[in-house]
Amino acid sequence: MKQRLNLSVLMRSKVTWAVVAEVLILIVCLIVRPDFFSISYQPSTGMLYGNLIDIVNRSSEITIIAMGMTLVIALGGTDLSVGALVAVAGAIALKFLRWDVTVYNTPGDYTVYPFFLVLVVPLLVCIVMGLFNGFLIARWDMQPIIATLILMVCGRGIAQILTNGKQFTTGYSPFRVIGQGSFLFLPMPIIITAVVVILVSLFVRKTAFGTFVESVGINRKASRLSGINAQLIIFIVFALTGFLSGISGLIYSSRIMSNDSNNAGLNFEMDAILAVVIGGTSMTGGKFSLLGTVLGSIIIRTIVTLVYYFGIASEATMAFKAVIIAVVIVLQSEPVRNYFSKRAASRAKLANGGVK
Amino acid sequence: MMSDNRNSSGRSLISSILNPKFIMVYATVGIFLVIYLFGVVAYGSKGFTTLRTFTNLFVDNAYYGISAVGMTMVLITGGIDLSVGAVASLTGMFIAYGTAVLGLNPWVCIAFSLVVGVGLGLLMGWVIHYLNVPPFITTLTGMFLARGVCALISRESIEIKNETIDALASWKLYFMYLKDGEWTRIRPSAFVNFNVILFLVVLAVGIYLLQRTRFGRNIYAIGGNEQSAKLMGLPVGRTKVLVYGFNGLCSVLAGIAYALYVKSGWNLSLQGAELDVITCAVIGGTLLTGGEGYMIGTLFGVLLKSMIPALITFNGNLLSWWGKIATGLLLLLFICIQKIVVSSTERRNSKSKKAAKNKA
Repeated sequence: MKQRLNLSVLMRSKVTWAVVAEVLILIVCLIVRPDFFSISYQPSTGMLYGNLIDIVNRSSEITIIAMGMTLVIALGGTDLSVGALVAVAGAIALKFLRWDVTVYNTPGDYTVYPFFLVLVVPLLVCIVMGLFNGFLIARWDMQPIIATLILMVCGRGIAQILTNGKQFTTGYSPFRVIGQGSFLFLPMPIIITAVVVILVSLFVRKTAFGTFVESVGINRKASRLSGINAQLIIFIVFALTGFLSGISGLIYSSRIMSNDSNNAGLNFEMDAILAVVIGGTSMTGGKFSLLGTVLGSIIIRTIVTLVYYFGIASEATMAFKAVIIAVVIVLQSEPVRNYFSKRAASRAKLANGGVK
Repeated sequence: MMSDNRNSSGRSLISSILNPKFIMVYATVGIFLVIYLFGVVAYGSKGFTTLRTFTNLFVDNAYYGISAVGMTMVLITGGIDLSVGAVASLTGMFIAYGTAVLGLNPWVCIAFSLVVGVGLGLLMGWVIHYLNVPPFITTLTGMFLARGVCALISRESIEIKNETIDALASWKLYFMYLKDGEWTRIRPSAFVNFNVILFLVVLAVGIYLLQRTRFGRNIYAIGGNEQSAKLMGLPVGRTKVLVYGFNGLCSVLAGIAYALYVKSGWNLSLQGAELDVITCAVIGGTLLTGGEGYMIGTLFGVLLKSMIPALITFNGNLLSWWGKIATGLLLLLFICIQKIVVSSTERRNSKSKKAAKNKA
């Protein structure tokens, strides 16, 4: 009986459906390409290659942002500005690397400003922008969607003006390491993502912070009355999301060794929110699952990879993404989950001869 | 503008005009006038004051306006629709591909787009209400679907070459005046085209639906408090589904207007338009929490937002990116005003409550 009950609990859990979806998609991948799971070692770059690694590697920008987005959504909000912050971070980093672009046009293996400034300044600016979001939401009680819409609209404009509407390129090798380097046979973005996921999880689950976030997300007033500094929590969450968007922006611009204020981080906010929702965190706030979010992000990337295998144009992947996401979301929706868990429960009852 | 004020038949016209619930609309109109005056003072010599500049605000942004009418309704129910830009783009794609590649009659293409757009809207409304999926996610999926189908149809921009479409696109109604018994065009010539008429018609339908029908009242009730609306026995599900359907219709009409405006279909056109449309509605005083908003506000929101690029063009020296920053700042300004208005009315309400208590 205990097993049966567990099944009903499992059926009710949203993360279960995410796992099922990912496994199903991977099985389809395997059918399409029998060598899908193969991983090979390339001694020249010291990196492992393979589809699975590529999926995780390519999903890292979204995963990193989605870590922050999970907390934002757990607070009952959404952060639309992350994509714009990715563009801003890239623009600032390239600006510091290539301040001399008006003098020397050809990119080379050098940087104008010290490398730590190239890394620190974009992150600081992103934190400040996150704090701006937090300020509007915590102090002025704005709805998160609108408050972050401001930076979403402005952000790309700021990025364009910083770089004068131009696209810089660089050849600075330490900068290349962030997006294209490797560590422990794995691509650097995976390592960075793993570190981020572990640190955020530790911060959220090993301190009371996660509980505070859930509490504020469920009822802000009640948590304030019970002594939680709701404003501070909101500030921290949005600053963290800004910071993570900055990291994601550095990875993105390091991959292309350039800034692209129009396309960097385009639709990242949407993908990140989708990753969070597929991972089982409810948009209404409250309970959240960081692990589910990682899974959600990987699911999105797996779908894209799968569609590539069918040789379909990259823009058209959106349609397939939509169909699969629709299935996942419908399966996760309350009425459907209740239906399944009820069936599982009634079956358990029948198995026990109708006795409780 | 008066039409939505007149519904309080018991009170006098003046008191209903001064009704504090319209204060956000007045703020929008006021800021529009201030910015317009700024344009007149700064660029009056360059021709900013002409009627042509004003009508061009409509001509160049009619598709935003059409979509904003539907969006306002969705926002008043407390929902959001991110699919409008993609559905409009899909409509343009259908028209372009249908007429240019398949050689179909453009009316067939338009009818097909209407079926697809309204159908998608109704489907999303159904999923939102009956499967309890958040509107943000549902319509985001709708957006991905529509964009993906766009790309499946064609990834190249397709030019629309069709007599009917050309006739519709080039039809213009010039502003005339009577001179020596003959109608002459005013100088510089100002005109409205089919898109503007379509926008005004959709706007009128929106105002009528929202202010004059039971459907409109249900929309406000759902936005105010969905639970209470349900307990009152209002048809919450039907209303929500229909609102998303109507928004789908508006998206398709916006897509038609855009196709007439640029005379081509491209799978990446109107990217991010959904947020521009939402911005227009918010600048027009619609609350994203639902329950509040007026079509007139949205009209001025669209005009305000379209004024920014116009001013930048008149200036001539600024990078167009400043337009984005200005739009963001405008949004910030409006939210601040909203905040001040809401908190001051709350304070007034609590004061009057206290006063009533003290009396008792």
